[in-house]
Amino acid sequence: MKNLREIDRRLLEFKERAELMVDLAYSSLLYDNRIIAREVDIMETQMDREHDALERLAVEEVREGGNVDRAVIYIRLVNALETIGDAAREIADIALRNMDVHQVFHMSVRDSDRTITAAIIAENSKFAGKTLKELELPKEYGMWVIAIKRGERWIYGPDGDVKIKRGDWLIAGGPPEMEDEFVKEAGQKVEWDTDED
Amino acid sequence: MKVWKKKELEEVEYEPRSVREILTEMKDISEVIVDLAYAAVLFNSDEIAEEVRLLEVEMDRLKYQMEMTVMLATRTTEDAEQLAGVLQVANATEHISNAAGDIVSLMKTHMKEPILPSVLREGDEIISFSRVPDRVKGMRIEELYDRVSAGIRVLAVKRGKRWFYDPEDDMFIRGRDRIVVSGGEESILKMKKYLEGKA
Repeated sequence: MKNLREIDRRLLEFKERAELMVDLAYSSLLYDNRIIAREVDIMETQMDREHDALERLAVEEVREGGNVDRAVIYIRLVNALETIGDAAREIADIALRNMDVHQVFHMSVRDSDRTITAAIIAENSKFAGKTLKELELPKEYGMWVIAIKRGERWIYGPDGDVKIKRGDWLIAGGPPEMEDEFVKEAGQKVEWDTDED
Repeated sequence: MKVWKKKELEEVEYEPRSVREILTEMKDISEVIVDLAYAAVLFNSDEIAEEVRLLEVEMDRLKYQMEMTVMLATRTTEDAEQLAGVLQVANATEHISNAAGDIVSLMKTHMKEPILPSVLREGDEIISFSRVPDRVKGMRIEELYDRVSAGIRVLAVKRGKRWFYDPEDDMFIRGRDRIVVSGGEESILKMKKYLEGKA
C-alpha cells in the first residue's frame, strides 16, 4: 500500500473490515458460535466510530480546499460499506440470540459458490510453523483464513505475518471444490457445532 | 426505459422453489454483486453497472419469493422460530445488494478524474476486466483455474450483449468474450499471460 493517503488507507481498511464481518457472521451461524457473533457485534460498534471519523476527515479535506465531489464520494462509499457491516451484524444477531438456524441454512452455505470450512492443524501438517504469507492459501487453494482459534484465544482476520501452529483451528472461506484438499493438508476437519459459552 | 427499471416493476408471482435454493441464490448474488460493483467503478463501466442494477432487482424479487415460500413452509412454532432466522439472513443479503447498488450510484457523480479506483485497486484482491484473445477457441473456466492456480474467480462473462454472472466452472469461454475476474495480483497476471499464449 504505497502512496496512499491516510484517508485512502483507512477507507480500504474499512472495506476489508466489512468483508471480514460478513465472513465471520456466516461462520458464527454455521458453527453456532456466540463468541464469533459477539466479535461481529464489537466490530460493528468500532465501525460506527470509524465511519464517523472518516466522514469528518472527508469534510475536513474540503475545508482545507479539497475537492467537494471527492468528499461526497468518500462519504457515500463509507455509508455503503457501513450498510454491509450492519448486514453482517443482522446475520450474527441470530447466533447472539441463541436462535436455532434451520438446517437449510447449513445446506445453503454448502451449496454456495463460497463455502466456509473449519480444520484443525495436525502434528505433521505442512501448514504448521509457517506464516499465512508463506502459505499463500488464496493462491494455492483459493481459500482465505477468516479466523484462527488458538486454545482459548481467537484471532479474527489474521494478517500475513501470523504463524500457524499445531493444534490451531482454522475457519476458512473459499470455493467448495477446494475444501477437501485444503482440509487434508491442514489436518482434519472440525465438525463442531457446540456453543462455547 | 432501462431493462432493470422495467424488471423492477414486474409482478412477482409465487414459484415453487425450495427455501434452500432461494437462500443459496441470494447468498451467491450478495457476494458476486459487491465485487461487480467494485469492478464497475474501477473500470468506469456502465455495462457492469447495469448488471449490478439487474442483480439488485433480481434480489428484490428473490426476497419476495423467499417470504412467500417461508410462509407456506411454516407449520409449527418450531418451524416459525427457525425460519425467522432464515428470513433474517435473506434480508441481510438483500441489504448487501442494496449497498452494492449504492456503490455503483457513485459513478453518476461525474468527475474529471476517477477517484475511487486508486482506493479500490489496492488491497489483497484485485478485479480485472479483460478480453479473451481471439485465438482462444473454447476453454472451460475450470481449465483456466487449473492452469492459473486456485487464486482467481471468474465473476462474470460477457458474450456479445449478454452477461453471464457467476458462471459455472464447466462453461466455455472463447475469443472476444470479456471476463470479470477477481484474485490476487500475481494470479491475475498469470491468467492474462496464459490466455495470451493460448493458441
